[in-house]
Amino acid sequence: MKKLQIIMLVAIAVVIAGLITMMQDISTYDSIASARNKEGKFVHLIAKLDKTSPVEYDPIKDPNYLSFYAIDSLGSKTKVVYLNSKPTEFEHSERIVLKGKMQGEVFQCKEILLKCPSKYKDDPTQQMKQLNTSSSEANTPATDEKKY
Amino acid sequence: MPYEGEHLVIGQIGHFVALLAFAASLVATMAFYKSTVARTPIEAESWKKMGRTAFVLNAIAVFAIFITLYLIIYNHYFEYKYAHQHSKRSLDMQYLLSCFWEGQEGSFMLWSFWNSVIGLVLLRTAKQWEAPVMTMASLVQLFLATFLTGIYFFDVRLGSSPFVLMRNEFPDAEIFKDPQYLIKYLRDGNGLNILLQNYWMVIHPPIVFLGFASSLVPFAYAVAGLWKNDHKGWISPAMPWALFCGGVLGLGVMMGAAWAYESLTFGGYWAWDPVENASMVPWLTLVAGIHTMLIFRSTGFSLKATYLFIPISFLLVIYSTFLTRTGVLGDTSVHSFTGEGNSLYWHLLLMIGVFAAIPVILYIRRRKSIPVVRNEENMHSREFWMFVGSLLFFVAAIYVIILTSLPFINKLFGTQWAIGENVEYVYNRVMIMVALVITFLSAFGQFLKYKGTTRQYFISKIALPAIIAIVVSAIISFVGGIDYDRHGAGFLVAIHLCLWAAIFAAIANGAYIFSVLKGNLKAAGAAIAHVGFGMMIVGILISSANKELLSLNRTGIAMPGLKDAKGRDENPLENLTLIHGIPTPMGKYMVTYEGDSTEKKNNRVYFKIRFSELDSTGNSKKDFYVQPNAFLVKSGEGTNLSSNPGSKHYIHHDVFVYITSWLNPDNISDTATFRMRTVKAGDTVFYSNGFAVVNRIISANKYDNKDLPVVDSAWLSEVSVYAKDGREFQVQPAYFVKDNQPTVKTDTVISQSVIFNLIKKNSGEIQVGIKESDAVMRYITLKAFNFPMINLLWLGTIFMVIGFMVSMVYRFNRTRIG
Repeated sequence: MKKLQIIMLVAIAVVIAGLITMMQDISTYDSIASARNKEGKFVHLIAKLDKTSPVEYDPIKDPNYLSFYAIDSLGSKTKVVYLNSKPTEFEHSERIVLKGKMQGEVFQCKEILLKCPSKYKDDPTQQMKQLNTSSSEANTPATDEKKY
Repeated sequence: MPYEGEHLVIGQIGHFVALLAFAASLVATMAFYKSTVARTPIEAESWKKMGRTAFVLNAIAVFAIFITLYLIIYNHYFEYKYAHQHSKRSLDMQYLLSCFWEGQEGSFMLWSFWNSVIGLVLLRTAKQWEAPVMTMASLVQLFLATFLTGIYFFDVRLGSSPFVLMRNEFPDAEIFKDPQYLIKYLRDGNGLNILLQNYWMVIHPPIVFLGFASSLVPFAYAVAGLWKNDHKGWISPAMPWALFCGGVLGLGVMMGAAWAYESLTFGGYWAWDPVENASMVPWLTLVAGIHTMLIFRSTGFSLKATYLFIPISFLLVIYSTFLTRTGVLGDTSVHSFTGEGNSLYWHLLLMIGVFAAIPVILYIRRRKSIPVVRNEENMHSREFWMFVGSLLFFVAAIYVIILTSLPFINKLFGTQWAIGENVEYVYNRVMIMVALVITFLSAFGQFLKYKGTTRQYFISKIALPAIIAIVVSAIISFVGGIDYDRHGAGFLVAIHLCLWAAIFAAIANGAYIFSVLKGNLKAAGAAIAHVGFGMMIVGILISSANKELLSLNRTGIAMPGLKDAKGRDENPLENLTLIHGIPTPMGKYMVTYEGDSTEKKNNRVYFKIRFSELDSTGNSKKDFYVQPNAFLVKSGEGTNLSSNPGSKHYIHHDVFVYITSWLNPDNISDTATFRMRTVKAGDTVFYSNGFAVVNRIISANKYDNKDLPVVDSAWLSEVSVYAKDGREFQVQPAYFVKDNQPTVKTDTVISQSVIFNLIKKNSGEIQVGIKESDAVMRYITLKAFNFPMINLLWLGTIFMVIGFMVSMVYRFNRTRIG
């Protein structure tokens, strides 16, 4: 066999080995219920911010503590704790991807990805929504002003 | 219904030129195809002439699309969806161009624009390769044109036109029942995503797209080589283009990294985000292809690998567009993606399918006539190790693209996979091995000759650079303080080994310019690029391993001891809150939030943060300011902060700061209540720190005041606030009624912690309310990092790009002479 063919085989073996070790780090998208069943395992939750429950974040007391409630499409609800600052546009997110693990009743979140309406400018349904509100927005100039 | 104030002619011109571009590229593709397969030279020549005319016409049409769309954005014709979605009146001039590339249509247009320019150059330079190469270029133009037509084939809309009108896109919206909708409602656009309002975003997309577009040329030449069954001839003319593409795409990717560093709040220049990966992967395979092309030209080996690497680079370019534009990455990327929907999804898959099928079918038809060298590469030859390096680049590309494609794989197979806890480490631990071997190969590979090298020559040339590299590496390893141990000792060893290899690569290639090339810089392109590559790797290793979180919050600020109550141990607490005017310790610095100022036009706040470096006695020995800024974005329910990092650049490190939270009185639950007082003009009301005089009260309603089209009635006031310390403020609380729904507009003087409102009572009297609240205390929360040696990364990038360009010129001149 030619040396280069051996090297190519080694390369293929390396890729496969790399992908196999990667599989150990692979996580899954879960619902809140299935994440509860896998307590302590790192998962991705696709959920929504529960706007009826309070969001706790007070940067003066502690800038690294955010807690809120998330609900998923199946209707389950969990408390989430995120030891970091509150992401921009958090309250306006339509959907959130939470990376972390369930510990007891609380989801310990390590990373949050937000899907905000502003990120979907080209999405026609969002556009439509926006347009309908923009006509009503234009009617209520209720923006509050601040001076320093 | 006639609408007022619309500018319809320019859009019709736009539609026309978009269709013209489509038709002309179709004709060009067919004519060049006919010319390639023609039986007689006369026939070939006449088809070629037709193809040229059609391609030039196509190029003119594409430039016209560009100009038309620019005029629409520049003149703020918000009746057009593209202008309304992507621009705004207050946008600075230089960002009007960024509006182009924010949207999908604009980025396809940009791609098509560069493709036209490249095609025009090819018309002049491709000579005997013109017909087959231009067939491919025209076919790409044809595909790109279909993305911009927006015409219907039966029920399927092909692409989307940038010239559609708002009222045609949203025919059901209420506002379009009003003939004056443009004057009344669409007075301003949605504006440009503020993350894109950065100078890098003016320049980065055109460069990346030039890189994307130019990857077509080596692809087209490879296809032409297979098609014409001339497997040698295409390499030389394709070489300068491949080098051009490698340089430009590499530059574009790194400009994206620079943008991420300066404007995203990742705390870094690279996060293995799918968008970044998707643009880097074609570059990896292209660099592999450039090396196998060189091997083939000098030795006849590696032709088959070239026929794999070069076409796949172009396919990966289209695939990366597919990943980033169709929304399949939605849940994994921090970047904004459009959900253009199914039509674009299938449209791009079709494009990938067509451009994959062409080389595959040609390759199968030509497989018997592709020359193969029977004997084996010499282990002491340059080509052997160069091939190993190319293969590693390719392996790296496959690894990255598979991981990046996980969401697409999930979509195809219904799986639910995602990369786990340590996304960066999953990539880094493989890439560091690849970088280690590749930099090492590029260090000693230069001193090998094609076909075989004598031991004596090799050792005599490499000895000195190797010794210097070992000394330099050892010094950096021992005094550089690289002790990144989050992923164990093995990874730390890999970091050090890779650092040594990269330093060796930079020094050895630098030495090569003098010892072998005798300082002939014109021929030194490859060596310069390798020096740059080595420097980049060194910069990446040091800046990543020694990146230091300055805002490490050990105490919590107001309540020490709170920390452990919430059970945090393993992860550093990254945010620190600074209260206005109070110096707070942060790492070796004392930092003070000294103030902020608002740029009214863009609603952008600049924060002034002083860093004082303290000596052992606690005196400040060095002071500097970092000024991060943030846009205040008004959206539906309140104001949001979109932060832009600020940094203080030094030669050997950067202090990097961004705001993660800022006083936002809207969101603070506030128990204080308004103290109401009935007033008339001239009355004075007191608060704890001063008094306020009501200067004027204006009431208006829509029957007697035509300036009030949006509310039914309004009560406005002008109040002067006189603080004890002598300062004076003007506030205008107001009260509006629309459809019997009242709205109160409050006005706040933050430095006085006082909020004013205005209420109109039924009996016709006006009340002014005053609320004093601590909730308006001024503070910011921030994250701060120290990035050492990041300039080495940028400098290495510049060297690498210069190397590519020098090489390109060198190869181009050689083709002309040869």
